[in-house]
Amino acid sequence: MREVPPRNSVQHRNHVPHWSDLPDDEDGGDDAGTMVRPYTITRGRTAPERDDLTLITVLTTDGDEAARALARGSRAGTRGLQPEHRMILDRCRRPAAVAEVAAGLDLPVSVTKILLGDLVAQGLLRARAPLSVARASGGVDLGLLTAVREGLRRL
Amino acid sequence: MATPPSSAPVAPITAVAPVAPVAPVAPVSPAAVKILIAGGFGVGKTTLVGSVSEVTPLRTEEYLTKASVGVDDLAGVDQKDTTTVALDFGRITVNPDLVLYLFGTPGQERFWFMWNDLVNGALGGIVIADTRRLDTSFASIDFFESRRIPFVVAINCFHGHNTRTPNEIRAALDLDPQVPMLLGDVRERAFGRDLLLALVDHLMDLAADAADAADAAVTAAVTAPVG
Repeated sequence: MREVPPRNSVQHRNHVPHWSDLPDDEDGGDDAGTMVRPYTITRGRTAPERDDLTLITVLTTDGDEAARALARGSRAGTRGLQPEHRMILDRCRRPAAVAEVAAGLDLPVSVTKILLGDLVAQGLLRARAPLSVARASGGVDLGLLTAVREGLRRL
Repeated sequence: MATPPSSAPVAPITAVAPVAPVAPVAPVSPAAVKILIAGGFGVGKTTLVGSVSEVTPLRTEEYLTKASVGVDDLAGVDQKDTTTVALDFGRITVNPDLVLYLFGTPGQERFWFMWNDLVNGALGGIVIADTRRLDTSFASIDFFESRRIPFVVAINCFHGHNTRTPNEIRAALDLDPQVPMLLGDVRERAFGRDLLLALVDHLMDLAADAADAADAAVTAAVTAPVG
């Protein structure tokens, strides 16, 4: 399989946020300037409808549902998917964490979470919460640590 | 959630032929855990992430909103300020069901206090220190101690630059005797691996200590003299 160049890698010096490609319309003279524009992708929403998405919540595209939604395409009107939604569904055919999706879209984490929340709510994306690291009850689960240790030894 | 069997009716799928095919059986999401890599600006956090990550370190950004603090505040003005903070991270697939993410924390540790999502649920941390400017790692150590996040210390030794003994460094950093400290070059994958293993071993020790303490508490309760 072809390796996609790491567009969002640290080495990617010419860091041009893609929302700057959006037409410079009525937000142009706003004092808030660049702060507003990323949220145009979210239709002005600045907070996700669900607050359980973390940086390492792992998302996986739900194959059948997503295929049907993508097939409906732009005909679906206001409930339809935006390009970013489609990019997310494509990316998450292989499971990816919120941080990875955000890096891939070149969008801030908080904006990405709103888009992800849309897709989870529509049943197109499945979210798996991070493993709980229950330190209060006295240390991390030994089974988890053993698994991590085994994996690291192969590095 | 049940995955539909692959023998499910295929008619709706064939009707959407123009769309790129989706894997017939949706992959199962692995679970994720994370470890934080901290240290002063330019001390080698992203280098360490890159040395062990299976992908080129990725960069993402977050908006953090803070109530502005400091002596220059205007009295009574509840001014809010939003900052964009960059985060470099990498990943290690531990096994098919478990992925470890390594997050290099932003160099200015005052941001960490505003970024609960970054800190919450971390297995532990690695603090990188440079012997020529140990003080740049003080804030990272303070942070992990205050949040009770277990950590190990990496002394990043570029050739010939380490003129201090480990004991001198420990003293300068005021490290708890239990906290592991390793000397090496963060550009080397083997050192990165050893740091991660040292952290996991440290976590295992802490878990064992906690279990012992719980046992002791139970024993004490059982054998406590009545009255």
